[in-house]
Amino acid sequence: MTIETPAVGRRTVLGAAVGAAALTSGPALAAAPPDILVGAVYPLSGNAAPIGNDARVALETAAAIINGHHDVPMLLGQGGGLPALGGAKIKLIFADSQNSPQIAQSEAERLITQDKVVAIIGSYTSATAVTISQICNRYEVPYISAENSAPSLSEQGLTWFFRPSPTDIAYQASTPSLAVEAARLRAANADVLMPSSYTNDAILLVRSMHNVGYTPKAIMAQDAGFIDPAFIAAVGPLAEGVMSRSSYASDAEKTRPAIPKVNALYKSGTKGKDLDDLSAREFTALQVLADAINRAGSTKNTALQAALKTTDIPGNQTIMPWKGIKFDATGQNILGNPVIQQYQHGAWHTIFPADVATADAIWTVGT
Amino acid sequence: MTGAAAHTIETRRRTQLLVGAGLLVGLIILPVLIPSPYWRGLMVLVLLYAGLSQGWNVLGGYCGQISLGHALYFGLGAYTSTLLFTRLGIPPTIGLFAGGALGGAAALLVGWPCFRLSGHYYAIATLVFGLIGLLLVENWDWVGAAEGITIPFRQQSWIDLQFRIAVLPFDYAMLAYAALAWLVAWLVEGSRWGFYWRAVKDDSIASRSLGVRVFPSKMAAAAISGAITGVGGALYAQYIGFIDPPSTFGLSLSVLIALPAVVGGVGTLWGPLLGAAVLIPVQQISIAKLGGAAGGVDLMIYGGLILVLALVRPQGLISLFGIRGAAGDAVVENG
Amino acid sequence: MTASLIIQVAIGGLLMGLIYALVAAGLSLIFGLMNIVNFAHGELLMVAMYAALLLHDHLHVGLLLQLPIVAALLFGVGVAIYRGLISRALGVRFNSGMVQIFITFGLSIFLVGLAQFMFGSDFRTLNDGAISTATVAWGQIVLPVSQIAAGGVCLLAFAALALISRTEFGRALEATREDRDAVALIGIDRDHIFSLGWGIGAATVGIAGVMLASFYYIAPSVGTSFAVIAYITVALGGFGSLLGALVAGLVVGLVEALTALFIDPSLKEIGIFALYVLVLMVRPRGLFGRQ
Repeated sequence: MTIETPAVGRRTVLGAAVGAAALTSGPALAAAPPDILVGAVYPLSGNAAPIGNDARVALETAAAIINGHHDVPMLLGQGGGLPALGGAKIKLIFADSQNSPQIAQSEAERLITQDKVVAIIGSYTSATAVTISQICNRYEVPYISAENSAPSLSEQGLTWFFRPSPTDIAYQASTPSLAVEAARLRAANADVLMPSSYTNDAILLVRSMHNVGYTPKAIMAQDAGFIDPAFIAAVGPLAEGVMSRSSYASDAEKTRPAIPKVNALYKSGTKGKDLDDLSAREFTALQVLADAINRAGSTKNTALQAALKTTDIPGNQTIMPWKGIKFDATGQNILGNPVIQQYQHGAWHTIFPADVATADAIWTVGT
Repeated sequence: MTGAAAHTIETRRRTQLLVGAGLLVGLIILPVLIPSPYWRGLMVLVLLYAGLSQGWNVLGGYCGQISLGHALYFGLGAYTSTLLFTRLGIPPTIGLFAGGALGGAAALLVGWPCFRLSGHYYAIATLVFGLIGLLLVENWDWVGAAEGITIPFRQQSWIDLQFRIAVLPFDYAMLAYAALAWLVAWLVEGSRWGFYWRAVKDDSIASRSLGVRVFPSKMAAAAISGAITGVGGALYAQYIGFIDPPSTFGLSLSVLIALPAVVGGVGTLWGPLLGAAVLIPVQQISIAKLGGAAGGVDLMIYGGLILVLALVRPQGLISLFGIRGAAGDAVVENG
Repeated sequence: MTASLIIQVAIGGLLMGLIYALVAAGLSLIFGLMNIVNFAHGELLMVAMYAALLLHDHLHVGLLLQLPIVAALLFGVGVAIYRGLISRALGVRFNSGMVQIFITFGLSIFLVGLAQFMFGSDFRTLNDGAISTATVAWGQIVLPVSQIAAGGVCLLAFAALALISRTEFGRALEATREDRDAVALIGIDRDHIFSLGWGIGAATVGIAGVMLASFYYIAPSVGTSFAVIAYITVALGGFGSLLGALVAGLVVGLVEALTALFIDPSLKEIGIFALYVLVLMVRPRGLFGRQ
């Protein structure tokens, strides 16, 4: 729930202030278009809350760029609201799912029926994404799944479901100790390790592997916890050489000129964090939605759905290293190709595919 | 027991039945008066937890066995009816009975080793059995493991308990559930079993000398309690349309099932409903009002409320109405 | 599967077991004294971990100094919880068992919320340079210094608890445990003993928390999984038994590690649970509990 004053109230105050000036400046200001309300459901408390709170900043950054005047070289980066709707501004309303499918469902229902949001963005975990997408489908409100990657979601036959990012899987329950896993890995002496886990387990796993003296030739992680900046902060040099699948390439600024400005804005919002795979996808989700609302020229649900279905954004108009964004019939982006990154000398570098790569792969892990 | 005392009890029970019927009529009308789906959804949850907690109350309240593992029976009910529906196409209106049966059977299985334990040993043992269920389901691929099961929407149907906008029909489905759970509690409260349970709760050694067979009477309470909880799990699954291990077998759910009865008044007919009507809205509204803004404040309010209520109203909110728990007086002497 | 792997895993399990044991010892002490299970025990561990983190990050206090400071702080927290909440709960004449359980449950939810409100929900880590990442190798067996240190400190804490139980205070503690009401007749202030008991119980968790913080992540909800293991450990060892907590903690750590090694890492808790159910059948009041 937002803590800002409601949009109507703010406009009323504005209207009163403008009223006095209207005699000289004419009627143009009086017709400020209404804000466009967009719901965002994320885990803002509990174990997954760090992700949710970063998502909030990423979405707020996107809204600030679209609404304000930051002049970022990307689609809708010129700012000033949505041109086709007379400069209407995007207003985000956040809700806490507490990572519970039931709470996610009732909060999505509240956003749709009480706050009358035109679309919902969410929600990190697949359990919450399932219930939100079902509710959105029933109320016929578009749901943009920003970062969840479970393939099953786009196989439900939901016509109001849109997912700009590529799919993969990531889940592991959290446990107090991963020392044995690490010892087993050492015994198996696997050359390549392909872990897939949330941040807390990623930290424990890499530390435990170091503790038992296990160094695989390569760690090829499935993003999630491994690309969380908290992971790097926690394991420091132990992350050297870790490779991860990622949707985002922070070093792709040559071909994605918007990255430096977007990252700077995000960094000031998070007090020092850089954009990562998840936050970049969340940022892009709002950009995709705003573009669709703009092309629809209205906030009517069917117009918005039709506009989303005809989305066609070239990759260089986004901050993602993808070819672009274009949805198939299931709402899945068909131009979203992931990249592979490696943590080298204290930073993530893209090593694949070649056209956006900035470094060569190094085949040792740890220091 | 003198004839006059028996007569008073009979009158009181009849009054309760009348109050129950009146309330039922009121609750049938209520959702029509609140057009907002969000508030109707809140009512669904209140009634669900009223029913679940009434089920818990049979074992925890009347029989005095504090279970912290009721999520096990809830999860079994949810998974049973869901799997019957998604794998075999058996409608959940039938599946919920299977879920209830399995919940009851599981409660008997847990009760068998645990009823020899007293006090906190029993509470911890039920907690562990709940976690065993969670762990097994999380690792069992055939039931979806950690990913859970999505229940596909087929068509609008009362038989399948599927509705495009589910809140209003589920207001009535959950109302029926809560009312039946209440009726079961009303029936057992007045039965020979109810008498046995109160005797067991107050002093199981003394009750044994009175000829109460302690173990079988505890098992009966467990079976009824587990069955009511299992049915609730099946209804929940159908309402949410998605189940996964933490949301149906988790420890926090076990606590959430017990809390309304504790806050409202354990061992009373109205405690679970009253507790649910206070706790669930506080929890959901504090999430809605504060969850998106100030991290953690919603949890502080919810936790603080439980703490304060348990402290200042140990006999439950129901005591505000001058009603005491079934075994209240005897416990005072023990304390 | 080599012998060195099994030894490696077993030692790792025992070291973790010492931490489980110390967390359980605090819980067991409080239970033995006044028949109360503290369901906010995991959150006390979390508070201790954040305290260690703040001391390290803002005041540059090293590990050795963190121990007494955090122990003293947690002692105060324990006394405050007793004075503010538990002593009132003990006075409740209705449902007092249930009231105690749910007061501490409410407290645990409240503390998680408070931690999130104050420190945010990010995963934090205390990088104490050398200690956090150093390892010692012995042939094929490699062990982290931080966990060896943690195990050592836990053993020392157990020794201290054993010493306390031999002092006059310890005897008063024992007497209060034996007969809560009779001690008043011989001039022991029951309330005073109880609050000291809570203080010591919480300080014990404080020490475990400091050692855990040196190699584990820190987050508002970090206490939950440790608390569950602590309940099982205490029930296994027998409520109120110090020796029981130590033995059961080591057994739990070992069984967890070996289950993960021989069966499957994702099923490691099953080993603990199965052991618990087994003991439950044979000795309902735990290995060292009075039957």
